[in-house]
Amino acid sequence: MTLIHPLQNTLTSRDGSLVFAIVKNSILSFKYQSSNQWEFVGKWTDDFDKAQDIKKNVTKEQQRQISENDTKNKKLKSNKGDSIIKTEAKIPAPGIGAPPIYSYIRNLQLTPDESKLIACADSDKSVLIFTVDRASKTNVLKLSKRFSFPKRPNAISIAEDAATVIVADKFGDVYSIDMNSSPEDKFTQEPILGHVSMLTDVCMVKDSEDHQLIITSDRDEHIRISYYPQCYIVDKWLFGHKHFVSSICCDKDHVLLSAGGDNEIFAWDWKTGENLSTFDYSDLIKPYLNDQHLAPSRFQNEENDIIEFCVSKIAKINNLPFVAFFVEATKCIIILEISGKEKGKLSLKQIIDLPYNIISLSAQNDEFQITLDNQKSPQVQSSFAKFIQYNSNDDKFVINDEKSNLFDEVITKSLQEDSNLNAEEDDIYPLYNIASLRKHGEHYS
Amino acid sequence: MKTKPLSQDPGSKRYAYRINKEENRKELKHVKIDESSLVQEGQKIDLPKKRYYRQRAHSNPFSDHQLEYPVSPQDMDWSKLYPHYKDAETGQMTKKVTIADIGCGFGGLMIDLSPAFPETLILGMEIRVQVTNYVEDRIIALRNNTLSRHGFQNINVLRGNAMKFLPNFFEKGQLSKMFFCFPDPHFKQRKHKARIITNTLLSEYASVLKEGGIVYTITDVKDLHEWMVKHLEEHPLFERLSTEWENSDKCVKIMRNATEEGKKVERKKGDKFVACFRRLPTPTIL
Repeated sequence: MTLIHPLQNTLTSRDGSLVFAIVKNSILSFKYQSSNQWEFVGKWTDDFDKAQDIKKNVTKEQQRQISENDTKNKKLKSNKGDSIIKTEAKIPAPGIGAPPIYSYIRNLQLTPDESKLIACADSDKSVLIFTVDRASKTNVLKLSKRFSFPKRPNAISIAEDAATVIVADKFGDVYSIDMNSSPEDKFTQEPILGHVSMLTDVCMVKDSEDHQLIITSDRDEHIRISYYPQCYIVDKWLFGHKHFVSSICCDKDHVLLSAGGDNEIFAWDWKTGENLSTFDYSDLIKPYLNDQHLAPSRFQNEENDIIEFCVSKIAKINNLPFVAFFVEATKCIIILEISGKEKGKLSLKQIIDLPYNIISLSAQNDEFQITLDNQKSPQVQSSFAKFIQYNSNDDKFVINDEKSNLFDEVITKSLQEDSNLNAEEDDIYPLYNIASLRKHGEHYS
Repeated sequence: MKTKPLSQDPGSKRYAYRINKEENRKELKHVKIDESSLVQEGQKIDLPKKRYYRQRAHSNPFSDHQLEYPVSPQDMDWSKLYPHYKDAETGQMTKKVTIADIGCGFGGLMIDLSPAFPETLILGMEIRVQVTNYVEDRIIALRNNTLSRHGFQNINVLRGNAMKFLPNFFEKGQLSKMFFCFPDPHFKQRKHKARIITNTLLSEYASVLKEGGIVYTITDVKDLHEWMVKHLEEHPLFERLSTEWENSDKCVKIMRNATEEGKKVERKKGDKFVACFRRLPTPTIL
């Protein structure tokens, strides 16, 4: 059965009027009016062709070899002795059984003035800079620049000047790029800082003395704080995690929240380095765990009862003391309250059940946006995304059903006919990638 | 069928040797040996033989090894490595490690540094299991054989990945000297990030080194020497020390002659390139 591919991530503008959603290798734009009307206002698809890139390199290499042979006066000869003249370079193609290549788009982020949207594309390991044209009815996003990197960017953040993008890659290096510069053909940049581990998240903060700092988290247990732009000065490490860190987010008063492969959410004061509190969610999540949380067979025991779960994303809403997170491949979102009296103290606010597994979580103003893995939904596909809002009257978070349902409608209406955004059940992009970050120490010697 | 390596074949001499040494290690590694507790008075422990500790020369610093490391420097129990420096009354360590030999190999440098800095704790870090075992056995034997004068109580070795977990062991500014002796050259361009000196790692080394602390490097590979010098010179927190300084420093002298790799280079009449750098004071934050 063909269905519309689930949304992999969303991002909302500050006033809530624009929502960007990632489906496969496309970014879709939707406009939302307070009169509860959704409008589909543009689609950008990453059409970067890797084969072309490879072909360019292969042809270049062939030309080099031909000219080298020419200067040495060597000629390629067949077995019969005729000379061979090669014209077209052969492009290596993946063989049968090679794993499929997915060209994800990740890390949507708007600049502070919301004039530009930044994203990362896996296809050529690049950072994409879009200009946002709110007036356009059909094409809100226009790609303005494409910065290609040697290793895959995994997290981005924007410096205070609103012109510098901080890019953290899967190899552990962090680069800074000026959005206003133009991409160079050959990558010559040196990293501004680095871990010897895959970087999972990065965020920029500012202390009371007006110094900017970069906080980076990695697949080992480290959270490191370095000064910016003097990135060679390490301020401190935040020690406490025993497994990988997958997501971090900042709150006011130097509070940092971090989560990952541990059973706890950590709250830190990044200024003093103190671990303010931890919140153990392992009991809360138990009823929601399923077969997907059994450890990979290589690391499983004979009873088949090793369970591994991890937090995929933690997000904070700006003006309220609430932070939400979800455990990968579960159907609930857990909202915690950050105490105002006891700094950094975390307590359970609410658990919201959802019909399907959560894929992504983002926050804007008083609203959490989540997308769901709705492959299994009945005939009419629904529940692509849910908007969870804070209701100050009864001090609770509720799903805005009307907004969510109308969003489903606009998605179904505008994407149904678009074969690029539809998928058979077999070729849905892998949606659960965080659990594989867990280290099992499989290498000896 | 593929034959088992000697180290896993129960009939082999190497297997028997390793088992025997492992038991010995378990028993003696963390024990404070002194005259009163000595059962085997006068009994010398033979120094370990390298041929039983063969292992391939490289270890991938990026893969997930089974490593033990503390969650933070405060959680590190140093008294197990240096039982002689544990205050019996308070249970606290009387000294902190201030010299680190990163990639200590077979431990030659530490063993020569030990008498030169009798009041300083020296730690070697090595990522290869068998090589670490060799150094442990060597230190156990040396400590045992010099009991009366408490020799070699100030050195020990850890199996670890210094590129990833150095800050888990040392507090900010704890170290006064760091040695990088004959590191893996990683010749290929795309392996350069695996080198032990890179501009990003230097920031971590600078953070665990105190102001005025020294980084010592020595290698027999000219390319690598130039690479290390380039990166250290470019780093804002390090300054190169003069040749005169190098010639007058006792550590440089030991470093040139003590390590196993150094001796090998000597035998092969190869070159040895030395470069030392001082950790500059941290500049004002902009």
